[in-house]
Amino acid sequence: MKTTELPVLMPCAGETLVGVISQPEQPSALGLVMVVGGAQYRAGSHRQFVLLARCLAGAGFPVLRFDHRGLGDSSGARQAFDAIHDDIGVAVDTLQQQCPSVQRVVLWGLCDGASAALLYSGERADARVAGLCLLNPWVRSDNTLARTRIKHYYAGRLLEWSFWQRFWQGQYEWRPSIKGLWQSLQALRTPAPSNTQEPAFQHHMAQALRQFPGPVLLLLSARDYTAKEFVECAQSDPAWKGLLQRPQLQRVDVAEADHTFSRALWRAAAEQAVLDWMRQLPTQA
Amino acid sequence: MTQAGATLQAFFLDGTHGKRFCLLHTPPSGQPVRGHVVYVHPFAEEMNATRRMAAKQARAMARAGFAVLQMDLMGCGDSSGHFEEASWETWVADVALARRWMLERWPGVAWLWGVRAGCLLAAQACRQDHQPPRLLLWQPVLSGKQHLQQFLRLQMAGDVVRGESSRGTAHLVHLLEQGESVEVAGYRVSAALAQGLARADLEALPADTQVVCLELGDADSGTISPALSTQMQRWQNSGCHAQAEVVAGSVFWQIQETADSPAWLSTSLRSLGCATSEVAS
Repeated sequence: MKTTELPVLMPCAGETLVGVISQPEQPSALGLVMVVGGAQYRAGSHRQFVLLARCLAGAGFPVLRFDHRGLGDSSGARQAFDAIHDDIGVAVDTLQQQCPSVQRVVLWGLCDGASAALLYSGERADARVAGLCLLNPWVRSDNTLARTRIKHYYAGRLLEWSFWQRFWQGQYEWRPSIKGLWQSLQALRTPAPSNTQEPAFQHHMAQALRQFPGPVLLLLSARDYTAKEFVECAQSDPAWKGLLQRPQLQRVDVAEADHTFSRALWRAAAEQAVLDWMRQLPTQA
Repeated sequence: MTQAGATLQAFFLDGTHGKRFCLLHTPPSGQPVRGHVVYVHPFAEEMNATRRMAAKQARAMARAGFAVLQMDLMGCGDSSGHFEEASWETWVADVALARRWMLERWPGVAWLWGVRAGCLLAAQACRQDHQPPRLLLWQPVLSGKQHLQQFLRLQMAGDVVRGESSRGTAHLVHLLEQGESVEVAGYRVSAALAQGLARADLEALPADTQVVCLELGDADSGTISPALSTQMQRWQNSGCHAQAEVVAGSVFWQIQETADSPAWLSTSLRSLGCATSEVAS
């Protein structure tokens, strides 16, 4: 389907947000807003957000990508990912204004963009949010990091023949690694003092996921620490109990993929998963 | 739309093989325009990492009286096309298009502001100039060949991070020599683009070109790197007026989540002959 792209400037809390809408010739009633995480900007690492937006628009879904305050081209001070509800709200408003066909939207996010999208759904109870598309969501804490490192990194390392080869040939810097293992073990063994609790944002995420009525796509990269930590957290923290087993949550693992799906092969797999899932969604409320 | 005192417009310009995404920053209404600046962004992921610093600088330049155009090169950012379809020549033509477009609207003092590999494109775009150009170069890449090699090495780093055994860069170089494209760190680079980048340098600028270089370092010592020092000598020998500034800050073109580097903004404004009252948002 033929698509056009439209730059948009959106006022938000006294600042200006820069975004781009990919518009299909025959737009669906279901749109998608991409929430950018980390310090990336709306094009995404190696332009993956641009390419995904064009792919979805080609299939009929209008897509808005944007920089929230303090990110990329947008003005203002940097914001934490759990403090951009206003920005996301403005983006959803703008997509509806510019594409009047859009009645409902999917919020899509990678890394802490996924966390931000989920937190928005919990915080705002925005009836326009039809679904959540969460890629490698960010739930980092000392505890999840330590567990993940011990479980995946060190265990994997000790089994790897090439590791031992390098080790015996003296090519492996073992000091930082042993130190890292020690620190990971300490972080696990040390009971958290009562005044330093788990970051509240993770529990808010769990709560938001529990109360979200619509479909959720959880897209995880096979070779990504952030994804492994998320799974670790969802399996070990009581707040997340049963959340990944909810019938409305679909989990797709992209084999071999790294955090940002940096090979065309992995990017295509992620695009296809999002597209297939979007096509199953009801377009009307 | 007014953004932190300056006016911002976002639009697409028609280029060869599609559209180019542009941001135009202009001084607050009623303020006279002193001239214009065309921004040339870095290569691959360095463009993304630099985005915020470039935006802050563009806004500051606009508040100081310059019209500033930031254009995404073909296959980059929000412009049309795929990265692998881009060639070095197309990008040089894009820079020329941006300059023509700005000259038509704001004749007068004209600056080309390049960052990293963008400096190579800026230099190449103004080699044929009849008017000696003004170049503001941030942490310039002095050798395209070296920059390409460093980029190819990212593939090795990626292999290691993913726990794969790395094959080094020799096979990538071989593929490029065979006319094939290679996929590195999420970017597919065509042989033509690699070739153009590998040939690029900062030589052969018109006589009387004014060059201001900003290099990251210890501002107190003010010592520039030996490589830049040699380049400065070559520029001066060829009749250019070159000055270098050592500026404190972070490696903002490589690391996404670095602290802002305000000294770069104020030093650049001073180089453009502006008073540097304050550099906000």
